[in-house]
Amino acid sequence: MITAWINSHLLSFLVFAPLLWGLALLPLSERQAPLAKLLGLLGSLGVFVVAAVQLLHLPADALGQICAERFPWFTAVGIPVDYHLAVDGLNLWLVLLTTFLVPLTLLGTWNSISQRAGTAFALFLMLETGMLGALVAQDLLLFYLFWEAMLLPMYFLIGVWGGDERKYAATKFVLFTLSGSLLWLVALLYLAGKAGSFAPGVMAQTVAGLPFTTQSTLFLAFALAFAIKVPLFPLHTWLPDAHTQAPTGGSVILAGVLLKLGSYGFLRFALPMFPAAAVHFAQLLALLSVAAIVYGALVAMVQTDIKKLVAYSSVSHMGFIMLGIASMTVLGTQGAMLQMLNHGISTGALFLLVGMLYDRAHTRRIADFGGVALKMPVFTAFFLIVTLSSIGLPLTNGFVGEFMILNGTYTSSFPWGRAVACVATLGVLLSAVYLLWMVKRVFWGPANAGEDSGTAHLHDDLNVREIMVMLPIVGLIFWMGIHPQTFLWQSEGQVTRMLSEVKR
Amino acid sequence: MILTPAELSAILPLLIPAMGACLLPIACLDSDQATVKWIRASMFLIALVALTGAFFYLTRLWATGAQPSFGALHMDRLAQFGGIFVLVAAALAVLQLWDHLHQEGWVKGETLALLLFSVVGMMLFAASGNLLVLFLALELLSLPLYALTATVRLRAKAMEGGMKYFLTGAVASAIFLMGSVLLYGATGSLDIAVIGARLGQGPVDPVALAGAALLLLGFLFKMSVVPFHQWTPDVYEAAPHPIAGFMSVATKGVAVLALMRVMAVGLPAVGPRMRAALAVLAVLSLVLGNLAALAQTSIKRMLAYSSISHAGYLLLGLVAATPAAYAGMLFYLLAYLAMNMGAFGVLSAFGLVGDQATFDQLKGLGWKRPGLGIAVSLCMFSLAGLPPMAGFYGKYMIFKELILQGHVGLAVLGVLASLVSVYYYLAVPVALFMDKPSGQEQREAAERPAVLAPLAGATVLICGFLVLAMGLMPGTIMDGFARRAVQDSLTIVP
Repeated sequence: MITAWINSHLLSFLVFAPLLWGLALLPLSERQAPLAKLLGLLGSLGVFVVAAVQLLHLPADALGQICAERFPWFTAVGIPVDYHLAVDGLNLWLVLLTTFLVPLTLLGTWNSISQRAGTAFALFLMLETGMLGALVAQDLLLFYLFWEAMLLPMYFLIGVWGGDERKYAATKFVLFTLSGSLLWLVALLYLAGKAGSFAPGVMAQTVAGLPFTTQSTLFLAFALAFAIKVPLFPLHTWLPDAHTQAPTGGSVILAGVLLKLGSYGFLRFALPMFPAAAVHFAQLLALLSVAAIVYGALVAMVQTDIKKLVAYSSVSHMGFIMLGIASMTVLGTQGAMLQMLNHGISTGALFLLVGMLYDRAHTRRIADFGGVALKMPVFTAFFLIVTLSSIGLPLTNGFVGEFMILNGTYTSSFPWGRAVACVATLGVLLSAVYLLWMVKRVFWGPANAGEDSGTAHLHDDLNVREIMVMLPIVGLIFWMGIHPQTFLWQSEGQVTRMLSEVKR
Repeated sequence: MILTPAELSAILPLLIPAMGACLLPIACLDSDQATVKWIRASMFLIALVALTGAFFYLTRLWATGAQPSFGALHMDRLAQFGGIFVLVAAALAVLQLWDHLHQEGWVKGETLALLLFSVVGMMLFAASGNLLVLFLALELLSLPLYALTATVRLRAKAMEGGMKYFLTGAVASAIFLMGSVLLYGATGSLDIAVIGARLGQGPVDPVALAGAALLLLGFLFKMSVVPFHQWTPDVYEAAPHPIAGFMSVATKGVAVLALMRVMAVGLPAVGPRMRAALAVLAVLSLVLGNLAALAQTSIKRMLAYSSISHAGYLLLGLVAATPAAYAGMLFYLLAYLAMNMGAFGVLSAFGLVGDQATFDQLKGLGWKRPGLGIAVSLCMFSLAGLPPMAGFYGKYMIFKELILQGHVGLAVLGVLASLVSVYYYLAVPVALFMDKPSGQEQREAAERPAVLAPLAGATVLICGFLVLAMGLMPGTIMDGFARRAVQDSLTIVP
């Protein structure tokens, strides 16, 4: 009976099971933290297994219909709000990425959180609910609610378990995100008032009848909220703070999933709902993306803190994703979607690895290391693979995504497409520079001879738990690099359809 | 005079707390009230019984759909809503007072009697359709509050606050009365329905316009709208925490309800002009309230400025002036009741006594009492308007109507103001969960006896639960309660 219920309410189960599981963990006391951690890990693994088993066998052409739930939720003041969840080509892999990353994060940060670990694990599960809900929500108000619901667990994760500047970083994170989403709410309510519905399809029809200036204003309000989340240059300033202060797990989820929701918002809502405005502003988006690529890379180059370097590399890589979306070509958009997965896996893994290093050395300053390769060969091997995938070496996932995005931009219809693509290619080169230079200073060469240096504190290589975390990630890196088709075929039809409608 | 059953049922909800209020001083006569616990307990019990009695009577009236009236007193759905609202707030305040007054070492029965008299005044304020009765109700609700502010009269700050409140309040009442006089002069009636009909007949007399403006001023003072807000921080700081919470919720609430009634029934003819003025005042309240709250170190002063900004949000609903906006305001008031009583209640629950209650004193307490910490954090998120808490829907409904009426600029300003407010509301969870007390503070905390405030704690938990429940089921509250109160009582001419 339970399996039958899960089958018919699969998405509700996926979305709310982590929340309920997390709430159940909250009453466990500090002494029962190991039990809470174990239960949290098992719960998130269970969600991942259910998601993988149930979602992967769905036929691509019927995704949006088969796996959907819809019923009216409430009609406050005249406008009905639907509880409408669905999985389709756009969000299928992001849902799987989320459910995949949460158990890995929990396992990866098993010992990093010393105090109140049970509560932290519960918050991760609640965060999973927010993320999955936002990914599968098809009604805009529902999407908005889940979007905001993601804030609070992350806020506490950064603010309670973060570094020294955690309060500043947590508050900045919330204020930045809210400043975008509140203005977006006004646009949303304006549109809902005109359309009498929160369904994106109905709203899109209403938008088509509005004057172009109104359309552009509404599009910009939507774009602002999503661009802050991505984060697009010059709205990225909250990200380095949040990343450096957040605990390892928080950084992984932040980079792995939360940022993706911004670019996902563009794909799911901003583009299809405002086709005219989107085409009009595509060039601006592309230019900002290129600025993010180059700027993020240049700033990453001069960082002295490994985690901050990875954070700025995120800015640069998310620029690629936005460039792919802005190119408005099928190739570029699909590349962006693949790159979302790539970035989630590669950067998530980088944050995990930096966390493992920090757990041992209690420092993240590049100058404190050197010669780590001799002390931790296994760790070095993993770090190198992930770094190379982040740079975009052929055979790894990064190459496929960046190639598709650059190719799509090059063939896109707007005037400076080729120039933009050329400048963006520079970003690939720069990412090799800053990442390999960091690897050189941390892993090769002589060790920092100081008594308190990071290298001096490194005694053991990765243990079995940590290797178990990294193996699936490395497996995916190569799978996506060698056979990206696995991750692309579900979305091809939908993206083609969407873009042909946008361009019409 | 013999009352008909309908007339009796119209005034019974007021009589029940009034009788409680008259009974209480008898219990206070006993000089042992400070020493004998059961006398104190019985006083609180009398107050609670009176409040719950009136509450159940009103809910029964609501369920049967009866809307009796007695002269100028209209116990219609709007007034019933107001009564229920005030009674719940008062009951929460009484529960919190038990703990708070014990912490202060100042348990006096007259506090409760004054509170009940004020409750009667508030219920009458929300129900009356006559300017003179309105004025009487205003005085009946205000005078006990002036005294309540100075309850712990050994403290200099308390006396100062009470005095300040009394002087400014008396001026506001006088202005309110002047407004009624001018309206009476212009229309020849004190009944707001008659005033509305006569004003609607021709071009509006300037005297009537001046009268209406002065009348509004009285309401705006009670709502603590800028520029009639200066008393608010000092008075909240001086008053006992539960009384401050009660004032911020119930006074503002009934002032909004009465203002709604007066605007919709008595002054539709001058509505557009009044709304233009209200929009300006709303903007001022939002800007000043939120910016001033940013700079506060005392939680009570922060909450006082936050209450000024919430008055601004409520005024925005009056600016939109559609039935849906009014219903949204009622929902907002319910949300505000839960979240603000929770916010003030936590001060008693954590045993912060005296006129200072700073963020520093909350440091690290969330981990000691996680339930309370989570509940009050929910209240703070709700005050900041974060979904899925009740406060979000209150703002959502008001902003939506504003946008539909074409006031997009006001809506944008409103959301930006609530963005600013996020910063200071988050300061409470930051202090509770993210700050670590310094060594000195830890030692001092260890020396103090552990605070046991079961009743105040329970009210905070209830408030946290309500905030979440209303946020998850906004439709139920909206359709079953807020919208019907507006629909069945007011005919709103757009």
